[in-house]
Amino acid sequence: MDATERDLLADTLRKTMATATGPALDSALTELGWADLLAEAPEVAVPLVFRLLGETGAHASLLNDVVLHEAGRPLEGALPLPYTGGSWVVWGRGVDAPPGASLDGELPLLISPAGEPVPLGAGRRALGWWLLGTGRAMLALARTHVLARTQFGRPLASFQAVRHRLAETLVALDGAEATLAAAEDDLGALLAKAAAGQAALTAARHCQQVLGGIGFTAEHDLHQHVRRALVLDGLLGSARELTREAGALVREGRSAPRLVQL
Amino acid sequence: MNVAEFRADLRRWLDTNDLSPGLDDSLDAQVAQLARVRRALYGAGWMRYGWPAGVRGLGGPAVLRAVLGEEVATRGLAEPGIYSMVEVLAPTMISYARPELAAEMVPRLLGGREQWCQGFSEPGSGSDLASLTTRAVPRDDGDWVVTGQKVWTSLAQYAARCVLLTRTAPGHAGITAFFVDMDTPGITVRPLRTMHGVDEFAEVFLDEVVVPGDRMLGRPGDGWQLAMDLLPHERSTCFWHRIAHLYTRLDHLLEQTPAPDSARDDDALGAAFLALHTVRCRSHATQRRLAEGGRLGPETSVDKILLATAEQQLFDTVRDLLPGVLELTETPWRSEYLYSRAATIYGGTAEIQRNIVARRLLDLGRE
Repeated sequence: MDATERDLLADTLRKTMATATGPALDSALTELGWADLLAEAPEVAVPLVFRLLGETGAHASLLNDVVLHEAGRPLEGALPLPYTGGSWVVWGRGVDAPPGASLDGELPLLISPAGEPVPLGAGRRALGWWLLGTGRAMLALARTHVLARTQFGRPLASFQAVRHRLAETLVALDGAEATLAAAEDDLGALLAKAAAGQAALTAARHCQQVLGGIGFTAEHDLHQHVRRALVLDGLLGSARELTREAGALVREGRSAPRLVQL
Repeated sequence: MNVAEFRADLRRWLDTNDLSPGLDDSLDAQVAQLARVRRALYGAGWMRYGWPAGVRGLGGPAVLRAVLGEEVATRGLAEPGIYSMVEVLAPTMISYARPELAAEMVPRLLGGREQWCQGFSEPGSGSDLASLTTRAVPRDDGDWVVTGQKVWTSLAQYAARCVLLTRTAPGHAGITAFFVDMDTPGITVRPLRTMHGVDEFAEVFLDEVVVPGDRMLGRPGDGWQLAMDLLPHERSTCFWHRIAHLYTRLDHLLEQTPAPDSARDDDALGAAFLALHTVRCRSHATQRRLAEGGRLGPETSVDKILLATAEQQLFDTVRDLLPGVLELTETPWRSEYLYSRAATIYGGTAEIQRNIVARRLLDLGRE
């Protein structure tokens, strides 16, 4: 896929996600050839689609496909996925979220009995891109707000304390993106999911703060992204759990792997 | 020569040519070791790859210099901070000095025959570098007379030459750079005691120092641009070297960490590793952009923030996981921990970097 084709695909996906979410988006993506994309060009399709889910705030049950694809199984049904704290969940296909099931009221996530072990690398990478997109969406909302909102006779964006919070957010997101782009093996995926989860939570904290009272209302979009970041962080291992796992790994190995080389 | 080939050949050479430092870790010994390493690497050609033929380099992509520095840092052959100084000094000379001057001088630096320093900061001009007041006044014969004071000048007491920023007119456009011989009458160097015990930087006093006109770097008023142009060099190759060095420190900590007291220790080790991995991935992407001909700009402030944060986090973890070691025993950890406190200050403070990110990358307008 060349750069022009990729841009075209991104445009189409963005428009689709702006008008459809949940089961409707699942159907729309099926028509757009999601299954072929995943089979033929996962290294392009997964980062693009999942990052756009985050940026647009839409959701779809594609994580099932990514995990099934890595497991070499047919792209059908929904399988139990490990969640932080030793829980398991199922991401329902073609269903709406049952009320009150998760902190993110839109995602069709249901607690389930423990399932079979599944390969986690591809799913973690996909969720990492989603979390990155969610973080970027929050930063965009916060940026718009601080430029428009005036207090003490000047825009919030002119206050250094506010600027530094948003700078901190961008640094975390850009750092996480670098780890995602470089994530090739399972350890790389684990670290990238941890970095992306941490970056999304950093974005949530700083963006919520600079959005002040308006960001705490249900009429502003921020809370949807905050909820999504919290829920997705726990799926296939939270930033905290994965960081601990990485720590145990390097301690036992007595050396820190250099995963990227010039 | 491609990177993989270069690395493999270099490793083979280093395996059979032992350049390990001695036990003396005084600054004199470190500087002598640095000169020894450069001489050997230059003599065998390694130090000449990635540099243009105009300064007697052997050509090839600049990334070869990052690979060489990584090997030097990983094997602990030279202290990476002072090793990396060539990465800002030599490109500055190549871009701004008369070609004959660069051709004559740069090989002395690369070949370990001379140390050089960089006279930028002043007592009244730290973060606000453009406010510097060291004056250069032209004489009728074309020479210049420089008077003023520099501070935090690394290795000034060992340096044969200095890339010196002076004021020749008001404002950013009134800063002019010179390449000054440090043995010129009127220059006095006074080393500063540092917090971490390695007295690597100094005050430099300039009292009516006469500098030949042909030692000007670029033209009058080019000094600010020269200072800006060296940032991409610092933030690509130097950072890669430093990251390689920090990985060796993490490995060293892992060798010394006893069985963990609690999962909290794994949290801390994991966080330190993740921060290093993150900046390595970021720096890798920066190297690749540079190799593809991209120009580096304000986005390298992200690399700088990630690196400084990772460095301090690593040494905070050392202190936490080896309780009492820094405080009660005389090991290199003590000096290294203390030096890491400067990571958010030198090369542009953490606050200046965040200002740049807010203004230039987030486009938040003026403060």
